[in-house]
Amino acid sequence: MLVLFETPAGFALFKVLDEGKLANVEDLGNEFATAASARKMVKLKAFDKFDNTSDALEAVAKLLEGTPSKGLRNFLKANCKGESLAVADSKLGNIIKEKLKIDCVHNNAVMELLRGVRSQLTELITGLGDTDLAPMSLGLSHSLARYKLKFSSDKVDTMIIQAIGLLDDLDKELNTYAMRVREWYGWHFPELAKIVSDNILYAKAVKLMGDRINAVKLDFTEIFGDDNDIESNLKEAAVISMGTEVSDLDLLHIRELCDQVLSLAEYRAQLYDYLKSRMNTIAPNLTALVGELVGARLISHGGSLLNLAKQPGSTVQILGAEKALFRALKTKHATPKYGLIYHASVVGQAAPKNKGKISRSLAAKVALAIRVDALGDGQDNTMGVENRLKLETRLRQLEGKDLGRLSGSAKGKPKIEVYDKDKKKGSGGLITPAKTYNTAADSLLGQTPTADSAENSVKKDKKKKKKADAEEEPKTEEPSKKKSKKKKTEVEEAETEEPAKKEKRTKRKHEAVEETEMPAKKKEKSEKKKKKSEA
Amino acid sequence: MRHPQRGRGGGGGGRGLARGGGGSAGRGRGNGRGRGPGGVKGRERESDGGIIGGSKVLVMPHRHEGVFIAMNIKDVLLTKNLVPGETVDNEKRISVQNEDRTNVEYRVWNPHRSKLAAAINNGIDNIWIKPGVKVLYLGASSGTTVSHVSDIVGSEGCVYAVEHSHISGKGLVTMAKKRTNVVPIIEDARQPSKYRMLVGMVDVIISDVNQPDQAKILAHNASYFLKPGGHFMISIKANTIDATLAAETVYQKEVEKLQMEELRASELLPLEPYEKDHACVFGGYRLPRKHKAATAT
Repeated sequence: MLVLFETPAGFALFKVLDEGKLANVEDLGNEFATAASARKMVKLKAFDKFDNTSDALEAVAKLLEGTPSKGLRNFLKANCKGESLAVADSKLGNIIKEKLKIDCVHNNAVMELLRGVRSQLTELITGLGDTDLAPMSLGLSHSLARYKLKFSSDKVDTMIIQAIGLLDDLDKELNTYAMRVREWYGWHFPELAKIVSDNILYAKAVKLMGDRINAVKLDFTEIFGDDNDIESNLKEAAVISMGTEVSDLDLLHIRELCDQVLSLAEYRAQLYDYLKSRMNTIAPNLTALVGELVGARLISHGGSLLNLAKQPGSTVQILGAEKALFRALKTKHATPKYGLIYHASVVGQAAPKNKGKISRSLAAKVALAIRVDALGDGQDNTMGVENRLKLETRLRQLEGKDLGRLSGSAKGKPKIEVYDKDKKKGSGGLITPAKTYNTAADSLLGQTPTADSAENSVKKDKKKKKKADAEEEPKTEEPSKKKSKKKKTEVEEAETEEPAKKEKRTKRKHEAVEETEMPAKKKEKSEKKKKKSEA
Repeated sequence: MRHPQRGRGGGGGGRGLARGGGGSAGRGRGNGRGRGPGGVKGRERESDGGIIGGSKVLVMPHRHEGVFIAMNIKDVLLTKNLVPGETVDNEKRISVQNEDRTNVEYRVWNPHRSKLAAAINNGIDNIWIKPGVKVLYLGASSGTTVSHVSDIVGSEGCVYAVEHSHISGKGLVTMAKKRTNVVPIIEDARQPSKYRMLVGMVDVIISDVNQPDQAKILAHNASYFLKPGGHFMISIKANTIDATLAAETVYQKEVEKLQMEELRASELLPLEPYEKDHACVFGGYRLPRKHKAATAT
């Protein structure tokens, strides 16, 4: 009988020398207690080594599915003539029986046998020591683990993080070199620096002409296109330039530097393309929402896509503005409204007033998109595209609301912003509602046709509330006053029980048609009614 | 006049709340939320054992070989870091300078997260894990305890870590990349035949799978890989096996189940106060009869 034993180095086939002992399963273990007695039980007949780790991985992966790999089949065919084969896995045994017509055995005795072989493995297989097996086992286990975890090398976000880091480095280097070219060549032809503002074009121009004397003869249309202005300026300036002469050797070096600049610029463009394609593969939804560059920066900032996926939307909103955030928290000021998200195109399109709102909505959707990309299975960007549409709709709504306010709403009186000379915010700028008469100065506010006027004018402390009511709009309020009013009304709301609330609701129905409701006023109406009823 | 007061108080309170929230969020972000599901009662920052950064500690070897203790306000368990400079789960590290100016780094072993550490703290007689030993660890999860076992067995020993879940498996593989004596295996521990080509014979099996049939799992793995005269440790959570019975009854039943599979228990140790209704069972496998007679006195 033969025994098939799998090792990380390859397949081993042992011949059982003393088959009689197999009957006594209990004591079989003792036979393998020492190397000598083990050698009397089994002998190594053949060994099929794996060529390399990938070969081993393939063979073992097939084995785990229960099918013998090609190598194993050939090995068995060559060596198992006319003998029964002891295997560790009965499923494997069945398939071997089917395909190779080799009888397979799997029972307790076989298990004990395998145990024994395993314990004396290094003794039984000469040339395979412990030190050889260990790294092989390690390598095979890592490959297997990667195979199991479906580690696809496409979806590695490390590439993105490195690429974006390199992009930033390249930009810096490019700028440094370009500045150097300008300075250096400026010694010879200073006027060129002012004429040609773009770094790449400057380098190309310098490369083309070398000494400025050549400028007049050469044709610069390849560089500047049809822009004759620059070309003519250049040629003029070349003739009357105040720069000194430079030798050919110097020009050679300047030209080399220009070459460097140009090749770096070219590489940067390639790198950017690479980054875009990687972003689309790794995080398609994120790219659809905010674009490749912002997406890559977010991933790089978070450390990894998975890390980023763990952050809530509010964190995503202010990623990149941590310094401002913690400073504001420490000094009790307003926290920043956007971080890296600011550079997304959706936020760029919004009016300054709406940037904060859009940034918040965008951050919420971005957080969802990141999670889909990091943890989901799909490779498409449908979720990102849909959400992008939603966001653009919302942006239009926001802007529409402002415009609507400007032209007056269908309900009647539009929301009025009261003039407040101390207001620090509200550089809102582009769309500001019209400044109107300050109705707070008018103490007869309660007698406007919104009903229940009589009760309102009665008590003294209500006057303060009226003032507060008039200055209803959320944008204008000085924080403390508003908070106090809110607190008070909140407290009083809490006090009022069910009936009061029902009252409020019915009142709302009646006064549905009227001008903009002042909720606080309502509340005070209801609790005043209650007080009246109590009194 | 209550209004102005209320106003200021309200304003201050509101801002204060925001500050508190922001502050804790900041702290939280810095920390990493490792403590989520395992968190027990109240403040769970005892992982560092009260060691304040920069304080001097005295490191002494523990009774168990390969384990160390830091003498400080609270005695803290340590293992010698196999990969100096790296932590597996943001645990605290202690650096000690030898006489010959070399630095030795130790990592803090948290008994609240690791059942083995809890058992050691509760005074287990013999953990059977020492430098040079080969260990099979079932239920390795993300590899925190595995890393400490790997520290103890050192570069001569080997830890085969089996974990079925893919999410924890990823963390395990990442940890194993740094430690060459850990062999990660992403398979179901119920089918040891699936990783038979990766594992040799081991000296100790540690089982932390937390499944109702864990006795059978341990027995099956032992029949494949545990050398005769080898040892095992199994951690039992009473609720997993049978939530209706009392904890002690469950432990006894498990011990009996193991007995039937030639796994003879030698110590049963409850893991209070680190875990509730948990116990550890240590024992031997196919112990030679003669030895049993000698120790049975």
